[in-house]
Amino acid sequence: MDSGLGEGSSGYSTMDDYESLISTTDAELLKRAWRNEKAAPQILRYEAALVQRSREQIKLMEETVEEFTSSGVDPLTVSLYQMDLDRTLFLLRSYLRVRLQKIEKYMFHIRKTTELWNHLSRAEQNFAERCIEDMEQHMQQSVLSKLPSSYKSHLKQSSSSEEDDMVPEPKLDTYVICRSKKFLGAFQLDDRQFLSIQCHLLSWRMNSFIFLMSMNFWTVLKTLLTLKLMIYTLYLISL
Amino acid sequence: MYGRKGSELVKELTCAEPGQLLAFNDDLFSQVIEECTGHLHNLAPLIRKIEELKKLEEMKVQNNQQLEESDKQALKAHNSGALIHHLSLLRNKRCLMTYLYNRAEIIRKLGWTVDKVALPEEIETKLSSSEKEYFKNHGATLQSYISELDLELAVDMVPPKDPLIKVRVLEEIGNVALSDQSAHLACQAIVFLKRTDAEQYIAQGSMEELTG
Repeated sequence: MDSGLGEGSSGYSTMDDYESLISTTDAELLKRAWRNEKAAPQILRYEAALVQRSREQIKLMEETVEEFTSSGVDPLTVSLYQMDLDRTLFLLRSYLRVRLQKIEKYMFHIRKTTELWNHLSRAEQNFAERCIEDMEQHMQQSVLSKLPSSYKSHLKQSSSSEEDDMVPEPKLDTYVICRSKKFLGAFQLDDRQFLSIQCHLLSWRMNSFIFLMSMNFWTVLKTLLTLKLMIYTLYLISL
Repeated sequence: MYGRKGSELVKELTCAEPGQLLAFNDDLFSQVIEECTGHLHNLAPLIRKIEELKKLEEMKVQNNQQLEESDKQALKAHNSGALIHHLSLLRNKRCLMTYLYNRAEIIRKLGWTVDKVALPEEIETKLSSSEKEYFKNHGATLQSYISELDLELAVDMVPPKDPLIKVRVLEEIGNVALSDQSAHLACQAIVFLKRTDAEQYIAQGSMEELTG
């Protein structure tokens, strides 16, 4: 409790090692991917390798639990394994579900933005294609076929619009709250004025929360990634 | 006033509890569509007149003459008229699409929470025929993704705290094979089940979870 400053800081670094060790396990990676996916308004890159590994591990765990049950291992041990298995399964399912819900919501936007389209897995791309087909059919039947010919598009308001101006897009102008993984020192995040309001130079300390006023979620995310900042948590609050 | 019916349609969306559907307002919906057709009927002759006047103007310019004052006035009037009809049409279209799109969003969510095969009757009566078809098609789309993935996604909707949950059986279910055993689920029985096993019955309304 009452440790001196020197002890405190050494404790800090072992803590750091431990945390970095823990944070490289797949369970932790999956948790992070899931959290980031939940918080981000845009669809993020599909963690194909991670999902693959997690599924293999789940299969292994299932086999272990089955083996334990049949060989009469202590039920408490089995139930602990089972709980771990359930949690991993939930994370994986929820991760995939959150992505599907984003695809459903912004299907047209994702389809026409190549960058986002490439973030999807093959199966997700198929899903998105079929989603779009279903939605188009529904809209044609209910409204568009009954409108005059130059107003029939589901992407444009009328044929006189030059761009697609009827595609729902996620709102990117939101506050981003991040937690840094480790001490990063002070640096300038972006030379544009949007940060100059409160934090032109940021001092990132471990576990400190930082509020950013962002003009574009994507810009911030990319900046963070290029700085090799491990995004621990990324919460977004819409205004 | 143009566009009022369209806005009424959108207002209906906001009146409903979030995530819940009101009955599809077929009447108002088709009235808005009619209004759109009406706009087109007004718009087409106006555009023709504008084009005629523009041609006349071009001819006069070639002969170093100007349009007569009355024609100039008429051109202005037709232009404004056409613009109003065009914009009203766009607004109506946006309202219709908003109505449809937001309802479709709720319908998609239903696919996660209720039994995928058949909607409960009280919800089904609220949908238009096209919406029913959409629900079915989208369900099939989702199902094909899930079978491609080979991982059931519609279970485990809340984070698991315990491997087992306590449920009360509300309808006679009888002997069923669960993932680890077979069990006889009699009406009003209180049993501990695996969450993944129980969730399908809860979604069908034949079981309820007992908390606390």
